[in-house]
Amino acid sequence: MQQRNHGTWVILLSFFVAYLLAIVPFPDWAMNYRPQWVAMVLIYWAMALPYRVGIGFAWMAGLVMDLLEGSLLGLNALALAIIAYITLSLHQRLRMFSSLQQSGVVLALVGLHLMMTHWMKIAAEQAVASNLLFLLGALSSAFIWPWMFVLLRQMRRGFGVR
Amino acid sequence: MSLEYRVAAFVVLSMAVMFADSRFDYLDRVRYSLGFLTAPVYWLADTPARVSNWIDDVFVSHGDLIEENERLREELLFAQRELQLLAGLATENNRLRALQEASASVNGRVLPAEIINVSSTPGTRRVLINRGATDGVLVGQALLDAHGLMGQVVEVLPFTSWVMLITDSRHGTPVQVNRNGERAVARGSRGDVPELELEFVPDTSDIEVGDLLVSSGLGQRFPKDYPVAEVTSVVHDRGQPFAVIKARPLAQMDSTRHVMLLALTGNEADRGDGTAPVWVDTAQNKPAVPIEEQIEELSASPQEEVVNPEPDSVSPDEPLPSEVADILPEEPSNQQE
Repeated sequence: MQQRNHGTWVILLSFFVAYLLAIVPFPDWAMNYRPQWVAMVLIYWAMALPYRVGIGFAWMAGLVMDLLEGSLLGLNALALAIIAYITLSLHQRLRMFSSLQQSGVVLALVGLHLMMTHWMKIAAEQAVASNLLFLLGALSSAFIWPWMFVLLRQMRRGFGVR
Repeated sequence: MSLEYRVAAFVVLSMAVMFADSRFDYLDRVRYSLGFLTAPVYWLADTPARVSNWIDDVFVSHGDLIEENERLREELLFAQRELQLLAGLATENNRLRALQEASASVNGRVLPAEIINVSSTPGTRRVLINRGATDGVLVGQALLDAHGLMGQVVEVLPFTSWVMLITDSRHGTPVQVNRNGERAVARGSRGDVPELELEFVPDTSDIEVGDLLVSSGLGQRFPKDYPVAEVTSVVHDRGQPFAVIKARPLAQMDSTRHVMLLALTGNEADRGDGTAPVWVDTAQNKPAVPIEEQIEELSASPQEEVVNPEPDSVSPDEPLPSEVADILPEEPSNQQE
């Protein structure tokens, strides 16, 4: 049992860095290209350690994101819980995929995440409907995914997170 | 199988939390107390900007510094001259208002602040400033930079506050044309360009390109006569019921870091948000300062009106009389739909 919960701090640290990257101010033109770091880190851990990072963890992570963004509480939580659900139900197939295929899945998942948060923000009157350029964030996330995957896998193996 | 039930449970939970957060205000307390935890994250995320500012400050040549110093001295001289005029005008204005038994309108109590983060959500224009409830910030306070009005505080956390910019498409700023007093509401544009659109202005109104728009003080949120924007295009389209007028905000929304928070005038109280209404109440209960004293203060040392950033000295020891006291404070939904 002690072996099972090994290296929690690595998971938390990776999420913390993802939060930092998510709120670091970008110049205006680059706003739409901002990768969804938190969603990507979540997808990785849900895929690698599905028995540790589950839907509840994703929900809490989303709640922290809501606090940091100043958005409606529960908005990112809902989106990330659904992302975690999809990842968990696909995780065995995802592990078999090549990095290109994984990028495709990340593109779809992050795109779904962006769409869901966008719709909810419009429904909650926290934003107004604009163009769909914000979906470029999914593209940049998918582009970064292979490197991020390798980095997080190195961290997981190096620190023996199980 | 349990996965489906779990995700369904969390979806329902999120919806309940979202509903509670949007309809009731007890989650605001939670959000406020958790602000103690999020402040260090913002501080860390702001580090790159601070470091680059520091580098700009440190690695600068002696000649550049001298040049900049000279330029600043020159600007200060001009500004001082205008300030002298302003003090005279303010005195005269207040005296005239006193004759008409209207309340004094000139006040300049500000709190310097810095923009430390920008909202990443597309379709909104909000910034985070490094002043919060501990500095006495209240919902509804106006934010200025050196050139004009920037926005208003919409959410106060312990050490930080979210400010909605006037270019947000959900924000309407009551403005008037400085030249002739023509009134309008300037709404943030929906496009990617941060500009303002004047709403429901009849085709016959006298607004021209280059007109300066100042805040009209209607709506009881922004103080009167602060510069807001400059009209950049006026299109009279017969196919449309109103003129299409666009304006460029004078405040440097995306390049400035140093901003000022303007103190609230008397009865623009926080509307039961629970964040810091005590601050305003104590101010309201105190007796009003006679206009003569204010005039003396103003004409004696106008440049000392800037309040120190220490939290203690921020609390208002005298109320700032609002200019249109007979208009009821309006609901926030009217201001930001």
